[in-house]
Amino acid sequence: MAEDVVWSPVRRLAEGIRSRRLSPVALAETFLDRLERLGPRYNAVVTVTRARALEQARRAETEIAAGSYRGPLHGVPYGAKDLLATSGGIPTTWGASPFKDRVFDFDATAIRKLEEAGAVLCAKLAMVELAGGMGYRQPNAAFTGPGINPWSRDAWSGGSSSGSGSAVAAGLVPFAIGSETWGSILSPAGNCGLAGLRPTYGRVSRHGAMALCWTLDKLGPLALTADDCGLVLEAIAGRDPADPTTADRRFRYDGAGPTGRRFRFGVLRDVTDGCEEAVRENFARSLEVLRELGSVEEVTLPDLPYDDITRTILFAEATSAFEDLIESGGIAGLTAPEDRYTAYARDAILAKDYLKALRLRGVMAREADRVLATLDALVAPGRTTVAAMLDGEVRSAIRGTARDVMGAVGNGAGLPAVAVPNGFGARGLPTSLQFMGRAWEENLILAAARAYQSRTDWHARHPPEA
Amino acid sequence: MSESEAVHAEVETLFALVRERYGGRLDAEQLAGVRTAIVGIVEAACALRAVRLTNADEPGQPFAPHRADP
Repeated sequence: MAEDVVWSPVRRLAEGIRSRRLSPVALAETFLDRLERLGPRYNAVVTVTRARALEQARRAETEIAAGSYRGPLHGVPYGAKDLLATSGGIPTTWGASPFKDRVFDFDATAIRKLEEAGAVLCAKLAMVELAGGMGYRQPNAAFTGPGINPWSRDAWSGGSSSGSGSAVAAGLVPFAIGSETWGSILSPAGNCGLAGLRPTYGRVSRHGAMALCWTLDKLGPLALTADDCGLVLEAIAGRDPADPTTADRRFRYDGAGPTGRRFRFGVLRDVTDGCEEAVRENFARSLEVLRELGSVEEVTLPDLPYDDITRTILFAEATSAFEDLIESGGIAGLTAPEDRYTAYARDAILAKDYLKALRLRGVMAREADRVLATLDALVAPGRTTVAAMLDGEVRSAIRGTARDVMGAVGNGAGLPAVAVPNGFGARGLPTSLQFMGRAWEENLILAAARAYQSRTDWHARHPPEA
Repeated sequence: MSESEAVHAEVETLFALVRERYGGRLDAEQLAGVRTAIVGIVEAACALRAVRLTNADEPGQPFAPHRADP
């Protein structure tokens, strides 16, 4: 099959598959070959799931030939962050050496839903060990090595869904599933020049996903376009009795609308403080595009310790979720030296401070909704910097070495956001623009992101080396 | 006691607790890293404590009673 399917958006692949111009088996072979050949170049892959992929692809081909077409993901290859349980003897490693041989006997709900949609699982993708919950400060924090950015092999692909970012950007899969507790979808999407969607908390079942923080973890897609993210979200969203935090709200992706809508965008005052110059400049240019799509106004949130609220919740829950590993000393087997001891410090979090963070989270959620109620989306740079160097330190709001009010509020309050590429900065690395909306307004922020992408072509550019 | 002295005292007290629990498996460099992390935790806690809430401000995370059958 011609390589021109590589970097084709899911929607275009789906049209080819539905019309039977594209063979799901040939598509799977193309991407399996790229995963096996190029995956190691980016430390992007833990396991290529060739046997399962070909079985699913053959089934898709047979069904479509018989006139049974399931929808836009039918026959489309994808990769999943290696914190989603998979059956059939495929390891699920959580990116961590102590778990590198661990196998589950069931599929995570997101994996099962994608199978029901006819998607073809081609790989389990690399990630920062334990999704970064142990306090890593550097890209080399996984037993698979640091996630390497297809735009520059000296740069990190982002964390913690590093393989999901690298694999889509390098054209190893058309889309991938990542997870975000704080930044782990938007960061690799921004670093790798992709679209990444963090759904509303409770939109997608976490059953079968590694728990890092029960009240912060979300699963979502990374893809070439915001439109593709919507297609994938529709497949994985929905109530799941196995995850009581999932909401009984049906999500049907509205890929067509709203046409001609004038959007109302808000920008938090001082949101570019601490950003690199190119990030600020690209954001300013993005605002010019957004003004063609609607209005842009400055807004403010009350003065609250947003980063401290979300950070305290994250540290407390992550340390409880991995209590056995920490107490047993098993963290000594992790890759990043700082991941081998930092979690011990979290015994210093007092119960009343964790509860204070939870009480302030309620205030934060109400204040964020009050601001967002008058807007279609808050917009901001997706990240304050381009990707870190592989041998450099990762600046992170989680550890307090960077500031990220949008991330703290968005994740702490469980709000959806989508990041899309909006230019290039230092060392030719991508920068990004994020749209954050009210709870359950994925369709609205995706419409805004699609409108932006219809007037720009950053998403159509791909790494030259890949 | 000034605020910074109070923070320092809290850090040292909590560090002593963590060192008591885990010090045997950590070297000097790792213990220094733990202490730095505790400083961050205490500073965050101080920022949280500085915000006044009312009695009605509940955790943004409601508890639901469990019943297996409908």
